Amino acid sequence: MSRTLEASEIHKYFGGVKAVQGVSLTLETARIIGLIGPNGSGKSTLLNVIAGIEKPTKGTVTVDGRRVDGWPAHRMVELGVAKTHQIPKPFLGMTCRENVAVAMMYGSRREGEPASALEESRRILAMVGLDRRADAPASNLTVQERKRLEFARVLATGAGLVLLDEIFAGLSPDELRDAIALFARVQKEQGFGALVVEHVMRAVMILSDFVVVIEEGRKIAEGSPKEVVEDPAVIEAYLGSEATNVTP
Amino acid sequence: MLRLDGVQAGYDGTQVLWDVTLAAEKGAMTVLIGPNGAGKSTTLKVINGLVRPTRGHVVFQGEDITRTPAHERPGKGIAACPEGRRLFPLLTTEGNLRLGAYPKGARSSADETLTYVYELFPRLRERARVKAGRLSGGEQQMVGIGRALMSKPSILVLDEPSLGLAPKLVSEIFVKIRELREAGLTVLMVEQNAYAALRIADFGYVMQNGHVVKSGPPNQLLDLEELRKAYFAIP
Amino acid sequence: MKWPKLRAIGPSLWGIGVFLLVLGGLAPWIPRFPLTILVNLLIFAALAYSLNFITGLTGYVNFGHVVFMAVGAYTLGYTVGTIRLHPLGGVALGGLMALVLALGLGAVTLRFRGVYFAIASLVTPLAGLNIVLVLPALGGGQGILLNIGFDPLSWFYTIWAIIATEVGLTYWITHGRLGYGIRAIKSDEDAAKSLGVNAPRLKLFLFALSGLFAGATGGVYAWTTSGVFPEAAFDLTFSLRMLAMIVIGGMGTLLGPLIGAIAVYLPSRFFLTIFIGTESIIIGLVVIVIALFVPGGIVGTLRKYVPELRRILE
Repeated sequence: MSRTLEASEIHKYFGGVKAVQGVSLTLETARIIGLIGPNGSGKSTLLNVIAGIEKPTKGTVTVDGRRVDGWPAHRMVELGVAKTHQIPKPFLGMTCRENVAVAMMYGSRREGEPASALEESRRILAMVGLDRRADAPASNLTVQERKRLEFARVLATGAGLVLLDEIFAGLSPDELRDAIALFARVQKEQGFGALVVEHVMRAVMILSDFVVVIEEGRKIAEGSPKEVVEDPAVIEAYLGSEATNVTP
Repeated sequence: MLRLDGVQAGYDGTQVLWDVTLAAEKGAMTVLIGPNGAGKSTTLKVINGLVRPTRGHVVFQGEDITRTPAHERPGKGIAACPEGRRLFPLLTTEGNLRLGAYPKGARSSADETLTYVYELFPRLRERARVKAGRLSGGEQQMVGIGRALMSKPSILVLDEPSLGLAPKLVSEIFVKIRELREAGLTVLMVEQNAYAALRIADFGYVMQNGHVVKSGPPNQLLDLEELRKAYFAIP
Repeated sequence: MKWPKLRAIGPSLWGIGVFLLVLGGLAPWIPRFPLTILVNLLIFAALAYSLNFITGLTGYVNFGHVVFMAVGAYTLGYTVGTIRLHPLGGVALGGLMALVLALGLGAVTLRFRGVYFAIASLVTPLAGLNIVLVLPALGGGQGILLNIGFDPLSWFYTIWAIIATEVGLTYWITHGRLGYGIRAIKSDEDAAKSLGVNAPRLKLFLFALSGLFAGATGGVYAWTTSGVFPEAAFDLTFSLRMLAMIVIGGMGTLLGPLIGAIAVYLPSRFFLTIFIGTESIIIGLVVIVIALFVPGGIVGTLRKYVPELRRILE
């Protein structure tokens, strides 16, 4: 089933700080959208608004035409939209399987039986390469393993649209290559649509079908990865304006 | 004067710096540029002592300071102006500046240094009695730099001084930083705004994904195509 | 949810079940004095189980739990005293009133997290006491004295039934889908929400259960003391004692509240004459030591260090 999430004209203010100012984007099943921008440009805030963690100050979010802005996160998950946390938040007292089983029972799959959820979670852990850690307590995982678990849990909710917050940060070049390949494979198998907030440009360039660039809360460019990195506005946002004159 | 040798570092098991080797020469202005997430700020934290490297060395004036705690570093002559300034919002401009003279060697000459800072930034003299929280972004940046100068450092370390400032203010601040360098101070600056930084630098390093990928004098680095490749990971 | 097959039921539930059945069968032959002590012990155990629903399972520390008990006690006192209701009816109504109060209170206070919830919960007994003191219908400062006789066996079977229901419900909740959602909330509420767990509703459900059983138990308590007295009904140290029981026994476990109730009640019942006045201090010290050094309580610690017991103790 094809799903479409549309965020239109999203504004989010915190007191006087205008974190997001009128950004629109569309996320669809089987497409990967990269969301990039310099530090503090409002990427994570926008992701939180779409995920139902923050309410937009202005603007709307719809899923398959239905207004969902202001919905709490757990209802968004029921609807099939789930987000990873930038800093992984595993349930430390539970094993990896149990962590995944929670997502399976409370996400859009609504698996009712713990026993079958626990069984099924093996398969999902295998998908992200954590099968050998299935029965280890989440508290024993390394940071990178926790990131994989975070991703596994989002998959386990059965979400057709996933929002990923910097899942490729902190990897060595080799690990990054493997992680990108793993993600591409899982995404192809599962066919979900993904909105990827990422600093690691290599991942964005390889994976994204479409890239949205924001700076200071505003969209400054969008298009294919190749297009946006040639866009003068994007180059200026990242490298600084050549017009910024400084006389030595 | 300051050298990093094969430094690796990170937070909570997430490695950010994979191999950073760089040097800031005495009396020169060195800049470290690169996209966000490249590890620039972490590199500065290694220099300040806020992040301890898991491998590699930090050498300052011939002394290995890899394990020197952060609070002892200003006393050795390393003054940092952190990203986002980190002023004390309820203290006045002057209060913030005077706190910068906390290291022993700087206390006795605090009044002289203060006069110097006010000469450098006349705007701050006018705003001396205003609480730092009420200053504009540009003024706060000046206080941040001034506070670092109050410790009479041998090296001034700046983290993204252009962050959140309008272009006109950026050039104003950068002119001042250049003045400091002209006056003989050693400066190490981290900037995302590559062009503005390289314009006033003597030497630059480009970082990407925790590595130093390129270094050289500004005219060698001011190549849009090359910088673009580094910033956007274009092969 | 299907009923679990008998064979699948864990040893802890079997153990408590057998213990309760034996106790229930023996009760008519237990002399009156020991029986009243047993009833008192079971009242504490029932309170501990009721607090376990919210504090044990979710980690939300409720210092105001005694309020539900007081509401149950006053409900019984009022209905039995004025409209001559049978005490059993008073117990049931008491539970119901406390449930309603819990829904109202919980809708507000459960929005707070951690220490803020705990502080908010501290206020409720003080508010409750001051309201009761100015209500003439509830006897004001005098309280309500009842003339309903001395009937330890009826008390016993009532509290027995309450505990059996609590234990059964605790088991059912912790062993199904709900249990996973609750553990997720206890571990990281934000992460639980972002995986689809409706945390506010689940917490309110547990808080309501907690109120229901504390209220019913409060009714039984008023029945055994033939009256309700405001200062005693809203006594904060009662809340602390219940907390001590689940902390000592093991928060969120099936056996913990029972073991904790025994561990707190019996010593305080028998040493009371020796350490008069210092009892609360001793309980307080024990709780601090346990919270610092053995946070799992008796059951949690045994499970941790004796792996063979993991399948047995829940």
